[in-house]
Amino acid sequence: MATAMQAARSRLDVSAGNLANVSTDGFHKHLSHVSLTDHGLVASSSIDSSQGALKHTGRTFDLAIVGAGGFFVRDPDGSVVETRSGSFERSAAGYLVDERGRALLGEHAPVAASADATIDARGIVRDAGSEVAQIRLPAGTTVQSGFLESTNVDAVREMVEVLDAQRAFETAQKTLGAIDESRQKDVNDVMRVKS
Amino acid sequence: MFAAATGMAAQQQNLDVIADNLANADVAGFKSAQATFAAIGGGEMLGTASTGVREIFAQGKLVKTGGAFDVAIDGAGFFAVERAGASGFTRAGSFSRTADGTLRNAEGWTLRGVHIPANAVSVTVATNGRVTADLGHGATSAAGRIGLVAFVAPEELRPVDSAVFAATQGSGIARPLAAGGDRQPKIQFGMLEKSNVSIVESMMAILAAQRAYEANSKGVQAADEMLRIANNIHRS
Repeated sequence: MATAMQAARSRLDVSAGNLANVSTDGFHKHLSHVSLTDHGLVASSSIDSSQGALKHTGRTFDLAIVGAGGFFVRDPDGSVVETRSGSFERSAAGYLVDERGRALLGEHAPVAASADATIDARGIVRDAGSEVAQIRLPAGTTVQSGFLESTNVDAVREMVEVLDAQRAFETAQKTLGAIDESRQKDVNDVMRVKS
Repeated sequence: MFAAATGMAAQQQNLDVIADNLANADVAGFKSAQATFAAIGGGEMLGTASTGVREIFAQGKLVKTGGAFDVAIDGAGFFAVERAGASGFTRAGSFSRTADGTLRNAEGWTLRGVHIPANAVSVTVATNGRVTADLGHGATSAAGRIGLVAFVAPEELRPVDSAVFAATQGSGIARPLAAGGDRQPKIQFGMLEKSNVSIVESMMAILAAQRAYEANSKGVQAADEMLRIANNIHRS
């Protein structure tokens, strides 16, 4: 029963994390899975990579990914990360960077663009008609310039999940109490030695 | 419980930014802002964190005001202004004439490059920024030029007044921007640029933020309730 309580607790944590990110563009919700094993109930989580709704912003450098995968951005410390959060802006040096200052990577180098550049669905950056860079994208994935991908978190479903996890926790606790009570009976009544 | 708490803090900040936009919806040249967030914790869910507030420099509507010294920018760029030695950049063009011949806005920022002769009756401004003073009886004289400047990364400008910004290291330095020609920004005289805040969109964003705040507070409550139940194990 203790594992059932722990499982309910992790379900709540996952839902709370989803709810916390209901305003985070490009965020993909996590799903809870609870399975019965030899060690009782075990909770795990996975990422639901279904497409979030595209929301129009009109800014050229707001990019929404349509399909699987993400953009590749480079941290100031050099590590390359994949992200679906596609709100970029031009840095003072003319490169496209996200709100954490990470540079958007093209096929060969970070993408630089002028203020009136355009970006097509295949991720080709054009400046006054001529191609200047190609954003690195997974095969088969396209981008939409002027849009951001909203999160795919459904607040209503997460609220239901929160309540459900809470009740599951309560059920497990009640059951634990009942088991405790019957053992108490075993110890105090059934096993009482008549004097 | 802490993940839900970070969600509440995020929505609180979201509301603050929207409220500031709404408060300045009638300020000419005001640019709306938007709070942005990112998930923290990677595979393990730890909640959300603010990644800052982004200025949105979309063009506001130009409205005819007939003000004798009102100017608006149709296109990109900023007016260069100064106050007590500090440089500022703004798209708010509501100025009035001062005794020393300069144009100044209500917050005390002086427009650079314009000196109106003391005997001028009125002024006109061409789309390229050239200012001409009418001295009466058909006589005119040049009274300077309103210059426009642009930045490589305008989103990195730092707001110093409701509609005045200062350059930062991230934005780069102000570069002069030609005005008046084909495909160039134009300076419109007798007009003002309204704020680019959409009241309807802001109201909807407030409702969404409020509900999201509430949902996150329910998450905190549920976690608290679980702890309470756990503490009661012994008594049931």
